[in-house]
Amino acid sequence: MFFKRQLPIAVAATIGFLTLFGWFVDEPIIKSFVDDDATQWFDILASFAIVLGALNLLKLQGMKVLRQRKGWPYAATAIISFAFSFIVGFVLRGSYNVTITQYDDPGRVASVLAKEINLDENSTKNILIALPEGDPYIIETPYFTKNGADAVVSEINAAGGVAQMNATEWGAHISTRGSLFNWMFRFIFTPLSATMFALLAFFVASASYRAFKIRNFEATLLLVSGIIIMLGRVPIGSNISAWFIFYIVILALGAGVNTWLRNRTYTLITVVGGILIVTIAGFYTGWPVNQPAIFYLPVLQDWIYNNPNVAGARAIMIGIGLGIFATSIRYIFGIEKSYIGE
Amino acid sequence: MKDKQFWSVAGIIFVLFMIYWYAMEHPFFVAERAVMFWAIMIVGGVLIYSTRMAKRGEEIFLRTIPGLKAVEEAVGRSTEMGKPVLYVPGIMDMDQVETVAGVVVLGHVAKMTARYETSLNVPVSRAIVMKAARESCRESYLMEGRPDLFHDDMVHYLTDDQFAYAAGVNGIMIREKPAACLYMGKFYAESLLLAETGNSIGAIQIAGTASPSQIPFFVTACDYTLIGEEFFAASAYLSREPELIGGVKGQDTLKILGIGIMLLGVVLNFFHDMGWTSWDFLSYLTVQ
Repeated sequence: MFFKRQLPIAVAATIGFLTLFGWFVDEPIIKSFVDDDATQWFDILASFAIVLGALNLLKLQGMKVLRQRKGWPYAATAIISFAFSFIVGFVLRGSYNVTITQYDDPGRVASVLAKEINLDENSTKNILIALPEGDPYIIETPYFTKNGADAVVSEINAAGGVAQMNATEWGAHISTRGSLFNWMFRFIFTPLSATMFALLAFFVASASYRAFKIRNFEATLLLVSGIIIMLGRVPIGSNISAWFIFYIVILALGAGVNTWLRNRTYTLITVVGGILIVTIAGFYTGWPVNQPAIFYLPVLQDWIYNNPNVAGARAIMIGIGLGIFATSIRYIFGIEKSYIGE
Repeated sequence: MKDKQFWSVAGIIFVLFMIYWYAMEHPFFVAERAVMFWAIMIVGGVLIYSTRMAKRGEEIFLRTIPGLKAVEEAVGRSTEMGKPVLYVPGIMDMDQVETVAGVVVLGHVAKMTARYETSLNVPVSRAIVMKAARESCRESYLMEGRPDLFHDDMVHYLTDDQFAYAAGVNGIMIREKPAACLYMGKFYAESLLLAETGNSIGAIQIAGTASPSQIPFFVTACDYTLIGEEFFAASAYLSREPELIGGVKGQDTLKILGIGIMLLGVVLNFFHDMGWTSWDFLSYLTVQ
């Protein structure tokens, strides 16, 4: 019980106190613990824990395949992908370079090299000739297999050149451009991630549609604000005259008066009176596109974005900050123990 | 001033700190951060005081939070439909307080699923979260007297990668069609991918996060959303333990204190800008 209950709470409390109050202490050892060591300890623990995660993944997916449960081909794909990544990362180096150190007859060496670098023989020959004397030529794209690189070395040597094969160092083979791991990352993993990310565009559209459906006052407010922000942030928004928006506001005001008072006379007076006032004011001022500024979309969107929006966001942020602090204090003082299952 | 012990300890700490500050000229202390230090002490003090008050039996009103009330409803719905409950504790590790809060709420949800004999599926994106969530669920099933219903694989690891995880969870949703999807933790861009897929399968969805940029997505796509502090109050609300509810009251007290400081700041800053006082309150408050 001590190891499952008291010890974790004591560790959490000690480290919590140290990191919280260490921020105020001007002492190098504590500062280095708070700034670096604590996070590095976490990273080390997380690195070991990943083994548990990987084993759990393999176990679950393996069971799915063995029992041929619903969707088992996906599980098989996951296992194959895992095995491929593991082998490419830990077993196969997948990155061998060929360096040509001598080419007394550039023409013959170029005939071999051209196929490897996807150029015509003349251009390849010119590249070799243009190299400063004594400088080696390194084939940029590494070979996935040692045999593939060896074959090219033999061909170049047979053509009168001197070439040698170098294996990329372990560790560096993961980030070397063109290595097998890097190829997998760039041509399989990245496109798949990008596909998932791209789905967001469609989901944003469907979610916005639902949010903007006029159901109540709040949804209407959201719709109007959304339209103003969207229009105000694109070039066409700055070409829409403030007077046009002014007229729309008058019509909306008329609709509001009609809904509220349900009296045609008042509605007529509001709409006609409003239109007359706006028209006279327009003629008087010469219809400037960006005046009155309160109805000019770029100005209006800026105001909505920087005032009501920021006010709401900050209120939420203050609540979140207090919530995080209160939760942390509960953990540090051992008031909340449910994270260890109590 | 109902808690003599609390005020005595607070007074002793204050006196000791004053001696350290003035008589000993505060060695090893970063003096520019004194405001932050006092803020932490006050906030911590208010929270501890409220917790002690609640523990002593003081009546504390907790307003109804629809999102949390709906958790039991969602589990009940899953039970009626004979479908699983899907719980997503975010994509970050245990070093994020939101993830810890998510695991804490998971414990309460696991109690409900144990009570109703409903299956629970918790795909996680971090191995440490997997271990913590598993322990939390195991304890909940034990406490409900249903250890037979618990199995390790109800909490399982998918991947550390954000979009691969989203794809994996979406796959689970499409294949298993859970009746309830709960998202409680720290989320980034995958929030909408998850919530919209959950919406498309007709699941009742409850989200809770402290990531401000993801709140609008959850509000749009989910049936209930716990916004910011509501999420951190979830544990108190679901457990109804006085110590935890006291913390929620403490937060509210701090909000009133915060509003007071803001108003005071407006007045003092006005005086400073007008040149009536030389003390710049805002720069004093700014964290160094």
